[in-house]
Amino acid sequence: MATPTLTKKVPHPVGDSVPRVDAYEKVIGAAQFADDLQFGPGLLYARIKRSHLPHALIKKIDASKALALPGVKAVVTGKDFSGFLGLYLQDRNIFCRDRVRYVGDPVAGVAAISEQIAEQALDLIEVEYEPLPGVFDPEYGASPEAPLLHPDLGKYEVANFIFPEPGTNIANHFRIRKGDIEAAWSQCAAIVERTYRIPHVQHVPIEPHVATAQVDDQGKVTLWGSSQSPFAQRYLIAKALGMSQSDVRVIAPFVGGGFGSKAGVSMEALAVAIATKTRGRPVKLRLTREEEFYTAFVRQGVVTHFKMGCDQDGNLLAMENRFYWDGGAYTEYGVNMTRASGYSSSGPYDVPNVKTDSYCVYTNHPVGGPMRGFGMPEMHVGLEQCIDELAHAIEMDPVQFRKINCVQGGDTLVTGMTMHPTGLSECLAKTAEAIGWGRKDPPSAPNKRRGKGIALMWKAPAMPPNAGSSAKIAMNEDGTVTVSVGGQEIGQGSFTVAAQLAAGALGVPIESVRVIKRLDTDSSPYEWQTVASRLTWSMGNAVVAAAQDARQQILEVVAKAWDENPDDLDIIEGKVISYKTEESISLKNIAIYGIPMPGDQGWVGGPILGRGNFMPTYVTGLDPETGQGPRAVVHYTTGAQAVEVEVDMDTGKVEIIRGAAAFDVGKAINPDMVKAQIEGGFVQGLSTALFEGMQLKEGVLQNPSFVDYRIATSTDVPRDIKAIIVEVGQDDGPWGARGVGEHSMVPTIPAVANAIYDAIGIRVGAPPYSSEKVYLAMLDAGLVE
Amino acid sequence: MSNHLIAVTVNGEYEQVEVPSQMTLLQMLRDKLALTGTKNGCNAGECGSCTVLLDGEPVNSCMVLAVECQGASIVTVEGLAQDGVLDPVQQTILEHGGVQCGFCTPGILISARALLDRNPNPSEDDIHESLVGNLCRCTGYLRIVDAVKDAASRQAEVAA
Amino acid sequence: MAIDAHPELPEFDYFRPATLMDASRFLAQHPAEARPLSGGTDIFVRMRDGFWHDKYLVDVKNIDGVSELRFDPTSGLSLGAGVNMNRVIASPQVQEHYPLLAEACRTVASYQLRTRATVVGNICNASPAGDTIGACLAYGGILNIHGVDGFRQAPLASFFLGPGKTILQPGDIATTVHFPLPPAGSAGTYIKLGRNTWSDLSIVGLTALGYPDPAAVSGYRFRIVLASVAPTPLVAATAQDYLEDTPPSPQAFKQAAILAQEACNPIDDVRGSARYRRAMVRNLTEKALNKVYKLMENRG
Repeated sequence: MATPTLTKKVPHPVGDSVPRVDAYEKVIGAAQFADDLQFGPGLLYARIKRSHLPHALIKKIDASKALALPGVKAVVTGKDFSGFLGLYLQDRNIFCRDRVRYVGDPVAGVAAISEQIAEQALDLIEVEYEPLPGVFDPEYGASPEAPLLHPDLGKYEVANFIFPEPGTNIANHFRIRKGDIEAAWSQCAAIVERTYRIPHVQHVPIEPHVATAQVDDQGKVTLWGSSQSPFAQRYLIAKALGMSQSDVRVIAPFVGGGFGSKAGVSMEALAVAIATKTRGRPVKLRLTREEEFYTAFVRQGVVTHFKMGCDQDGNLLAMENRFYWDGGAYTEYGVNMTRASGYSSSGPYDVPNVKTDSYCVYTNHPVGGPMRGFGMPEMHVGLEQCIDELAHAIEMDPVQFRKINCVQGGDTLVTGMTMHPTGLSECLAKTAEAIGWGRKDPPSAPNKRRGKGIALMWKAPAMPPNAGSSAKIAMNEDGTVTVSVGGQEIGQGSFTVAAQLAAGALGVPIESVRVIKRLDTDSSPYEWQTVASRLTWSMGNAVVAAAQDARQQILEVVAKAWDENPDDLDIIEGKVISYKTEESISLKNIAIYGIPMPGDQGWVGGPILGRGNFMPTYVTGLDPETGQGPRAVVHYTTGAQAVEVEVDMDTGKVEIIRGAAAFDVGKAINPDMVKAQIEGGFVQGLSTALFEGMQLKEGVLQNPSFVDYRIATSTDVPRDIKAIIVEVGQDDGPWGARGVGEHSMVPTIPAVANAIYDAIGIRVGAPPYSSEKVYLAMLDAGLVE
Repeated sequence: MSNHLIAVTVNGEYEQVEVPSQMTLLQMLRDKLALTGTKNGCNAGECGSCTVLLDGEPVNSCMVLAVECQGASIVTVEGLAQDGVLDPVQQTILEHGGVQCGFCTPGILISARALLDRNPNPSEDDIHESLVGNLCRCTGYLRIVDAVKDAASRQAEVAA
Repeated sequence: MAIDAHPELPEFDYFRPATLMDASRFLAQHPAEARPLSGGTDIFVRMRDGFWHDKYLVDVKNIDGVSELRFDPTSGLSLGAGVNMNRVIASPQVQEHYPLLAEACRTVASYQLRTRATVVGNICNASPAGDTIGACLAYGGILNIHGVDGFRQAPLASFFLGPGKTILQPGDIATTVHFPLPPAGSAGTYIKLGRNTWSDLSIVGLTALGYPDPAAVSGYRFRIVLASVAPTPLVAATAQDYLEDTPPSPQAFKQAAILAQEACNPIDDVRGSARYRRAMVRNLTEKALNKVYKLMENRG
């Protein structure tokens, strides 16, 4: 299937900043989210009995009193469901069966006629535990002394690119062995060696998770949920329940923010499991904000060790990295971060000698899952600070140092893959210019100091090699086009992009395109998941293919009716035109009913329905010992970000004065929405840089609410964020496009850290750079008294 | 526990609702009146997704009991547009790209409307401060602030 | 906040008495079961968290006179328990005579929360972090309390007993807080250090009010109240005394700041460490005193 090549003229509205197709219903309050769907008086409400211990054996569960409570319709426990869940590593039961592994682990579920009765029932469920020692540090967890959390690790089903080490807590160990680092160290003029402990953070979608499930009398499941991944949920939940995928239907309305937390399966399986016992009545489960913080996916913590060196001219010679990912109680999804951070472990730099060991370690912490950036923000924290330190060590400007070393098209990457053309140098130059690099502005007050910092980034979509997309395009009687996709609108603008690509590829105005805005696995075309910033590229290719398919059908019908060659016909602004005869006909006259042949000699055509799909076929496996292989990933999006900060010497408070960022998006399908992603990611990044961290104490979250888990508000953001688009086309993206949704928050933390260093001369290490952390660092360094 | 029959005006419509004591205004709007535009993001007065106008003033509807609203007038996001014409804050947030996932949007629109009602000519600082109780995780706020600024000037033009 | 918070409020009965006496009697008859309700912003959070289990909430904010904001040029300002913080902030009389109170109110949470939150509620909640309590103490606030025996008055200076603990007894309803006219020439500031720029709870809150007083050796008196660094809002008495005797100067303010630091007794919690809080008490006290003195000088 042909993808539009880079040389082809870009048709409108591709590349135009058209308004979002979902904005109107959102501003009038009509857009429906999962909790807004109405289920009538038969609806039951579920609550979950959760472990209050981080690690324990379950000796006994007695639910008899709960079942006897009037209004309780069902109580389920792990003994009812033996199947396993897991995207990459099937290590998780729906409810705990013999053991709990984190504070919040689901032990039992209740369905009742009200949420309040369900709550009361939870208190009546008696669970007897035998507490076990816990693991609260991934390095300790990887050591032989640590208690074993998953004795059955060797029996779990696992993707063929994940390598668990049974008998340990290591769920995956990814290795890179490129060149010879030991020989390289002796040639280095400067070597930097650092450790960073990155805290867990939470995605904080403003919409908490909600799922409603119903199981009909034939056992068929319908799940309505706030979901980035209706198809993956259908697949995984069916598997866990021993059902056929087509007997599970997932309906996913608008998503109130996902950022990865609503990918894969988290709490949805609980609702489905409970609904299997309620005789056809639908069951709604919604997480409280507090539960959202510690029982939905979290961005796992990580301990990163970096050692890197360069020669006197600033050429990076070697890197040695060790990452210990705090995978949490179940690493079913998050385990792939080991791999993603491994194959990208050089950062966006050309480094001849690299040794990386990336471990995913089970701990008794909340479940690590995917979050915007999928390991890259965490990895870049240390990497980009070390790069800065190396530049300073050889007295080179950090921008110049990055310019010398940043990855270029044709470079051999850390996995042996050859880099495709990339605009990283341009991103670096434009970002530096936009922030006024090299110019030192005076602080706004005598007790403040100013500084600038910059960081580069790269990220590849982290996914199975064959993650697929598909799309359908149907013509309507009025000449409009209905586009159907399986990729979700989570705020990033995927429905608008789908409309633009369909309009451009088909030749109709954007006003003529309708996108079906509620996903339904029974009718939407397949999409792997809305993750990895892959939709514009992958789903986009499917939409374009579907539009081209519809277009070809239309042209052939008209060509037959007009006795012309389809190559002489075109579709422009919703009309088929002939370049030969200058005749034209509106789509609305042909799309459904076809065209009568001349002389009343029958008809040609019929309802037009285009279909398209896309799946990358070229990604290869990597050698498990060396991490080497021809093509590790589909592509890398690269970029740069810079900030100017002011540090208050009296309090340590860091204020972000301004920011600039440039990303190579290949081709901006909707430039304004690309900029909105760059700005929004910047602010989410600065929120994680300044405020965020889950405070876990022996596995218990100390700040499970907005009162004490602070995120950036409208008064914490700089007034000036320059978003810059760089376009070096992707060979297999629609008109060259590749993703940018996640990338925008990857370099923010180190950019802020580097700016703080520029301001006060102190390396503050791992985030969050709270006023306390910065002030105490200044105090310890003797900068303040 | 006791129920109360209360009369309220919601988006200009007179309603009678039977509510238990502990029912919040947010629950009443969503569960009793099916006005689901008002969102539940934290149920603790922190995120602002449930912001509505209560007798003209913005409140977190999760922090108000329904029974306290006897005789009150309430405006939700569904009541901002008049006869199909969007309120200036709705129109400008749409045009400035201040909507992404859309979950915080209803609360933000109410806060913005309330700001312009009490201060038709707010400074940029005023706008930032007025939105501090409305958490948004997608947009980074700047486009929302631009939208409110623009709405203020459009309103001034209409008034002039 | 509790990790196992309820999804919604637990069951209770809402009750709106006709008179204060009805309210006090009901509350006294149901000790540990009933609670007066004003704005509810703290009550609802604690009930949803499962920390409070009251069977009855007694709505007192619409009873006779409780929702009045009254200023009298001779006797001062009275804020009823039903007066929300936005009204306080917007009041021209508060802005003119008690600007510190408006400044402190403005730092509380968000506009929409302040539509419900009240100054009297902030006082009765007795959180060591209460943002407006410092201003209320500095302005010499006196609570009017209605109990089963009728009204009595209690100065705020002896009102707080511990975190969430006050002298209020079952049946007591704080109906208004009264402030005498502020001392002539006074100026004040509230410096709130939170994690975010606005809307957060304080890591440290620093209230300072100064005014010229010929009776003082130094010619000035200062009132200094610290938030979030002791079990109750803390008046930095030694620092105040020092400034009564020592003429104002940057050095004097530095020394007073050290005395304030020595007086505080902070703990480590999720918002900040004791070490940081102690350092901030010193830095912010010094900053606040310099600022207040400058304001007074500019006025004089």
